[in-house]
Amino acid sequence: MNTQEYILSGIVESCVLGLASNEERSEFEKICARYPEVLEARIAFELSLEKKAFEYAVTPPPTVKTNILNRIGTAAKVIPIQKASETKPSSAAFGWLKYAVAACLVLLAGSIYMNISLSNKNKNLQANNKTLQDNYKNSSEELAAIKRDIQVITGNPNIKMASMKGQGISPKSYATVYWDTTSHDVYLLTNNLPIPASDKQYQLWAIFNGTPVDLGVFDMKKERLLIQAKNAQGAEAFAITLEERGGSPTPKGDMYVLGKL
Amino acid sequence: MNLKKTYSEEELVYLLQQRNENAFVYLYDNYSGALYGIVNGIIINNEVANDVLQNVFVNIWRKIESYDPAKGRLFTWMLNIARNASIDELRSKGYRDSQKNISIDEQGEIAGGITGPNIDDVGLRKVLGKLKGELRVLVDMSYFQGFTHEEISKSLNIPLGTVKTRIRSALTQLRTMIQ
Repeated sequence: MNTQEYILSGIVESCVLGLASNEERSEFEKICARYPEVLEARIAFELSLEKKAFEYAVTPPPTVKTNILNRIGTAAKVIPIQKASETKPSSAAFGWLKYAVAACLVLLAGSIYMNISLSNKNKNLQANNKTLQDNYKNSSEELAAIKRDIQVITGNPNIKMASMKGQGISPKSYATVYWDTTSHDVYLLTNNLPIPASDKQYQLWAIFNGTPVDLGVFDMKKERLLIQAKNAQGAEAFAITLEERGGSPTPKGDMYVLGKL
Repeated sequence: MNLKKTYSEEELVYLLQQRNENAFVYLYDNYSGALYGIVNGIIINNEVANDVLQNVFVNIWRKIESYDPAKGRLFTWMLNIARNASIDELRSKGYRDSQKNISIDEQGEIAGGITGPNIDDVGLRKVLGKLKGELRVLVDMSYFQGFTHEEISKSLNIPLGTVKTRIRSALTQLRTMIQ
């Protein structure tokens, strides 16, 4: 097929903007999966449309956000950030001040107001500080985990690797298996796998004499480089399939990647 | 102090599909303006536009499981939810009555005038203004007013095939305009 002609026909825009018929759209999706140049044209148009939409953004009134969060039940859980200026001392607390000299009243009220305001600011700062510390701690832990992972695959002379290439269902997928020829530990690096639906999980298989053996299911974790699988030695190939959450005793779902040794 | 994390689109989708509420707040903070611009381009009445935007985000939250990155970017998906919700509202009886709008049958006769002067300056409609006469009417009717090709063909008395080709040609021109 002449992809250039197809791209210039306006089908890309009409599909992205939601003006195409269902038939045209499903044909377009198939063609995108098959011809990278069409996919590129789609993404390029999507990006320029997105850019324009952001140029013409209009800030909605703040009530819209509150209403939405109320409706999805999030509002209660998102802690509002209290502004120091919103907290004013109640006048009832200073009843006796009525009897004090006017100048004193102003000074004292001002001073109390400052105290409360500063105390609130201090609380906010402490809370921010705690958040920063927590973020730092999480980042450090993630970094340490990644360093350990790198050490596993680079610091050990007995480690071997096999790359697993994308299969028909997902040609761009790519993953790597590392295994220790002495300890028989198996590690998995998911270089590029689509994020599965929440009721699905990827499952790693080692293949011995044509028979797949389960090496476990895994979730895609952003903060980890390597996923440790069950031990295996002497496999002739490794593969990953997408199965129902919890895995399957034998592979039933689509195979995403396969690597022969 | 700004402690806000930034997410890549992939991370954001992953977290939303995991029902992460902070990710949803982030999504709102980052995308509500752009989507409100789209809604405003279709719905003139601000209060109605606010309600539509609310429904759009509630729908995004409810339907995020069905978003498939292979079919298009996250923004495109949300943009289509926003446009569809706006068009549904625009064509609902309640809205038409409230705006004392003209019916679909009458639309053709005044199509040259589009929908009134104010809305032409809003959002993507500004881009539309650069298209020439008839092409502009066609894109306006199909994209911003949600008429099907058949309806346009009938009301403007142009053959269906011609409506299709002209809209396609207008869209390719739009692409060059927004590049």
